[in-house]
Amino acid sequence: MHILLIEDDNQAANYLLKGLTECGHVIDHASDGDSGLDLALTGEYDAMVIDRMLPGRDGLSIIRMLRADNNFTPTLVLSALGEVDDRVSGLKAGGDDYLIKPYAFSELLARLEALVRRGHTVNFEQTLHLADLTIDLRKQCASRDGRQIHLQPREFRLLEYLMRHANQVVTRTMLLEQVWDFYFDPQTNVIDVQISRLRSKIDKEFNTPLLHTIRGVGYKLSETP
Amino acid sequence: MKHPELKFIRTTAVRLALNAIAFYSMILLFVFIALYWASNRHINNSIESELRSEIHQLIKIYEQSGQQELIEQINKIQDDKNRIYYLQSSSQKKLAGDLLQWPDNEIELNLQTQGYWIDEEIIPLNIRDDDAYWPVIATELSNGSRLLIARNIHQEKLLHELSEFLIEAMGIAIAFALFISIVITRQILKRIYTIKTTAQDIIHGDLSKRIALSNRNDEFDGLSHQLNVMLDKIQFLIRNIREVTDNVAHDLRSPLTRMRNKLEVTLLEKRSTDEYEKVLRENIEDIKHLIKTFNALLSISQTEAGGNRSIWSNVDLKQLTVDLIDLYTPLAEKKEQTLEFQNGVDAIIYGSRDLLAQSFGNLLENAIKYTPAGGTIRFYIKSSADTVDVLIEDTGPGIPDNEKDHVLEKFVRLDTSRHTHGNGLGLSLVAAVAKLHGAELSLTNTRPGLRVSQRFNKI
Repeated sequence: MHILLIEDDNQAANYLLKGLTECGHVIDHASDGDSGLDLALTGEYDAMVIDRMLPGRDGLSIIRMLRADNNFTPTLVLSALGEVDDRVSGLKAGGDDYLIKPYAFSELLARLEALVRRGHTVNFEQTLHLADLTIDLRKQCASRDGRQIHLQPREFRLLEYLMRHANQVVTRTMLLEQVWDFYFDPQTNVIDVQISRLRSKIDKEFNTPLLHTIRGVGYKLSETP
Repeated sequence: MKHPELKFIRTTAVRLALNAIAFYSMILLFVFIALYWASNRHINNSIESELRSEIHQLIKIYEQSGQQELIEQINKIQDDKNRIYYLQSSSQKKLAGDLLQWPDNEIELNLQTQGYWIDEEIIPLNIRDDDAYWPVIATELSNGSRLLIARNIHQEKLLHELSEFLIEAMGIAIAFALFISIVITRQILKRIYTIKTTAQDIIHGDLSKRIALSNRNDEFDGLSHQLNVMLDKIQFLIRNIREVTDNVAHDLRSPLTRMRNKLEVTLLEKRSTDEYEKVLRENIEDIKHLIKTFNALLSISQTEAGGNRSIWSNVDLKQLTVDLIDLYTPLAEKKEQTLEFQNGVDAIIYGSRDLLAQSFGNLLENAIKYTPAGGTIRFYIKSSADTVDVLIEDTGPGIPDNEKDHVLEKFVRLDTSRHTHGNGLGLSLVAAVAKLHGAELSLTNTRPGLRVSQRFNKI
């Protein structure tokens, strides 16, 4: 992926550069708002990571200008401001996702990949497939290897989200936000329990496990771990 | 009061008082002019009637006793310095009186008093008064003789006396007003000074100072009360910040020390890649935990400070409860607990869905954590005409009665050895969120178990 990173903290930016490059992405970095906007307007990017507070021009105004210019490159907003309403204002300005500092690199990577994927998928399909697992969005039912799997409505939503982001790492926070619409940090392993319950339904009686735990990061639905 | 008089003249109160005095002086002046005009008119009227009755008397004497008698009468009374008489024959010859000749000016012979400037030249020296204004009345007798009476009213003297009196009166009035103003001003300044000294004390660090109220319940008391309430709030927030800082220092220092030690010990000798990886992973876990604690603290402080109401909206508590039950049921079941939920009550309140979700989530997590296997957790809402109760009941050990208030404070954990997982901030956030939403929070031991109920107001 070709990613534009606009972040004025050079030390933080260098680690991000290193991490993202090691994961096979190509990064352009700007360390202030104006040069960031120049790059965003002239380059072709798959995604952008924009810090909210920048010298020169703040992150949200860059996003607003790009959106006004019909540039809808998926954008992840980084911020040291942590309140819920900051997230709301970030998303209102046209950001696609919002990550509060301090964040884990794995979280950033997972969200970035999810954003780019979301930009590419068309949401009109009626069925989603992964190996022998199929879900029917219209009928809200799932089957594997021809066998019907009984899921609660919320379990179905969880599986649907994982299917839409198949072969991609998703974090616990992403699941909590996207499936349950909760924006807090539980003190318990509540998501793990949810996942293991889903796993028992879709993987238990089959030879190939599809739902994998990625240690220290989250989960991945894929044929190969 | 320490020499406030020095700056007395510059104060708003004095300026206002002086403005008021200037205004009142103008009114006073106006009143005095009116008074002057009225008394002048009154004097003129009395002179007029006096002159009229006098000339009628003289006419009567002439008509009854003839011209000679009139001449004698005039000679008899003409010593009066304030009066001038003049009688001349039809051939314009002086018959009697003070004037040297009939005045040149046209005088109406109509028995009406006229204001008249008599030429000084024709007035005898002994009755000249440097003010030649005389009210005059005149008539023509039946034999063609002409009779004139003029009356000296000492206009200037009267004016002089009157204005002297007015100036004195005004002086006294202004002095009195000034005195009253100063008294009032000093009183106002005293009240302001009380506020000022309190403010100075607070600036110098004593935030517990409050403005003393009088028992008059006036505007100053109203203002002082508002300021005191504001100070209470500020003091609460500052205490809060201090408390959080202390807690952060206390609760974050130990994990930081642990992490540092772990890293330093690891670096003491060469180790296998696996060992390094293990230590790094453990460190990441420690950091995660630190960030969690840190975020929870920030979240509580922001909530206690009033949060941001711009993102508040109508929250469907029924739907929120369903969502939370959905999320936590597998966890409870894994611990062999039953999570019960009574559906069916519609309840909408105005608030922050995110904060309410976190608050209820914390309570559910606590319940799940402390309820033994086989226990039951009930999460339900009860609705009345204008309130909604959100209740979470468990069959855990409950909270000792003497600890109930204590548990809502930050970093308080009943398990003092801190073996169970948690940071002791869960209930603090619950308390802060309840307070922010104006909800009553109560903890009840149900033996066995704990009931946490929150009473919210409906929209």
